[in-house]
Amino acid sequence: MEDNSNKTDEMVFGEIIGMRDEIGKIQEAIADFEVGKKLNVAIIAGLFGGKTTLIKEIEKLNLSRATKITFSEVVRDKKEISLSGDTKRVVLFDNCHFLYVRKPGGFDIFYEFLDMISSQNRIFITTWNIYSWKYLKEVFELEKYFPVQIVVPAFSEEHLKQLIFNRYEEGEIIFNNGGESDEEPVAYITEYPIELSAIGKKISIPILKINIHYLKKYLLSEKKEKKEGKEKTAEHRVFERIHLESKGNPGVALRIWKLALDYPHIKPEDVGNFSYDIELEQEEAFVLNLILSYQGLKKSDIVDIIGSMLKTDEVLFQLLNQELVFEDENDSFRVRPEALHSVITYLEKLRLVW
Amino acid sequence: MVDGNSVNTTREQLLETIRSIETQTLVNIILAFFVAYIFARIITALLSKLSEKMSRSGRIKVKMVIPAVKFGIYIVAFYYFLTELLNIFGPELFLLTGLIGAAVGFGLKDLFADFVGGVIITFEKPYQVGDKISIGNYYGEVTDIGLRATKLVTPDDNTVTAPNSLIFNEAIASGNYGASEMMIVIDLYIASESDVKAAMKILRETVVTSKYVYISRTSPVILLHKSLPFYTRLRAKAYVNDLRDEFEFESDVHTRAWTEFGKNGIRAPQLHILNIPQIGEESELRTTRRKNDRSNVIHGKYSDFNAGSQKNS
Repeated sequence: MEDNSNKTDEMVFGEIIGMRDEIGKIQEAIADFEVGKKLNVAIIAGLFGGKTTLIKEIEKLNLSRATKITFSEVVRDKKEISLSGDTKRVVLFDNCHFLYVRKPGGFDIFYEFLDMISSQNRIFITTWNIYSWKYLKEVFELEKYFPVQIVVPAFSEEHLKQLIFNRYEEGEIIFNNGGESDEEPVAYITEYPIELSAIGKKISIPILKINIHYLKKYLLSEKKEKKEGKEKTAEHRVFERIHLESKGNPGVALRIWKLALDYPHIKPEDVGNFSYDIELEQEEAFVLNLILSYQGLKKSDIVDIIGSMLKTDEVLFQLLNQELVFEDENDSFRVRPEALHSVITYLEKLRLVW
Repeated sequence: MVDGNSVNTTREQLLETIRSIETQTLVNIILAFFVAYIFARIITALLSKLSEKMSRSGRIKVKMVIPAVKFGIYIVAFYYFLTELLNIFGPELFLLTGLIGAAVGFGLKDLFADFVGGVIITFEKPYQVGDKISIGNYYGEVTDIGLRATKLVTPDDNTVTAPNSLIFNEAIASGNYGASEMMIVIDLYIASESDVKAAMKILRETVVTSKYVYISRTSPVILLHKSLPFYTRLRAKAYVNDLRDEFEFESDVHTRAWTEFGKNGIRAPQLHILNIPQIGEESELRTTRRKNDRSNVIHGKYSDFNAGSQKNS
């Protein structure tokens, strides 16, 4: 059978799950602007964190008064950020981390942008990659231009379940307990991922857990409901592991789900435990940091920053070889979702991300 | 007056006690120091290896512990030594202390001063293992604080062993004082007629985009500019992420800044302003001078008078 979830990728990821408080704050800032109080908004999130989904929702809610501009690669031309006369009063800029290049002379468009958002009579709602934001905050005190800062929160286990289930019909996915027998365990060992930035590694510690979910169902349910109960507890274990491994990052959770799914079956034991042993040279770590901070970088952009085609080839070869990044359909290099937390921990150890 | 007979008796008693020391006790004492030494070396090596695998701040923290652990081990060994000594000598220990005092006073005073210096360094921490320090005429990263001396590795990869007693006589400057980041001052000199504003912008962007930089609220990038009669000095004060990359950071900023300066028509100060001949001219002059020198030597061989007259001229 075929997993047809890809067809609905866009649609489901576009549906807003959680984030009601965040939407409320942004709408409040827009409402304040209407009465003369201008508070630019920065939506900040990590890679695959869901900031684009959030800004799309804001666009939907303000269709009549908002203009949205999305940057999908490093902006080289000032015209790309200049606003025409018919631009509405609420301006949504998605992926503002593409407005600078980390090299001397690479901030001219960024300066223009700062000048624009502080001088024009419009409210600017922007999205930023968290690591670019932190860098620009330390270097240019960026937070002063954005009095309202919204950090996209991690998804709860329930929200992740909702996000994944939205892609399938009811009862389409079958959860198995994975054991030889049909019995659901009363206690089980689960791997608890811990990120140790002091040593730059993500490790997993086995933890014994009592299957409270199952026990509750077993003790309280009628006999006919017990079979259903078994599947429900396997489902709970699958999402518990996905939540632990993804740390509530929806993009990472979806990737882990896909890797574990043997359509239409999924077992808790198949939910991967991803830990990468990363050893990189200074230049390689720096490029990895760039790829993480920009979300996706083309090879030409990396060459522009590093200043050497030969070195870039060498570095990218290493990063691809260690399976830390991949090249997407737009020729951009991106961090692998399943390697994301290992990469962050490693770069935190080197203090390349702050 | 001291009775001569009683002094002789005490001396004999002491000699008698020394003669009564068993070989086993001596071996035990030597063995205790040997074990302490080996143990301290192993612990140092293990902690050093562990620290190198850790984050930059973690590395410094672990290395800070090493001298204290080493001193702890040696103190235990010394305590054992003293206990054995008290067992052997009892009240005669005072006489022995006098002898030790005299030995320290005359021959081993430097060694004793080094040891006291080591104790002060360990507990007062004017610097720590992993710090970049200037001590005496040397500058480098502290790799080991021992009982007698501190080892530094200089930027030229020379290992310098500086006696711990230097802390009593010399001022010590620690560039990072336990932190993994360290401020680096980078000076660039440009021609007075250059566009200083553009140069400052380039320098700032070069520093903040370097792969070696560390920026935070407490470690900001500071840019200064000073106009001097014949040139302009631009100074950047920024923190290097890992103090081991101190020179790489400086070199990276210089290389990239000068590349950008070149693109923007910002030039280095011209030597003719200082009436120093241009490089081409200078080499010509040098060749001429060398020729003259050679002729002087030839002349000098034959006539001291000639050489003297050259000097006078």
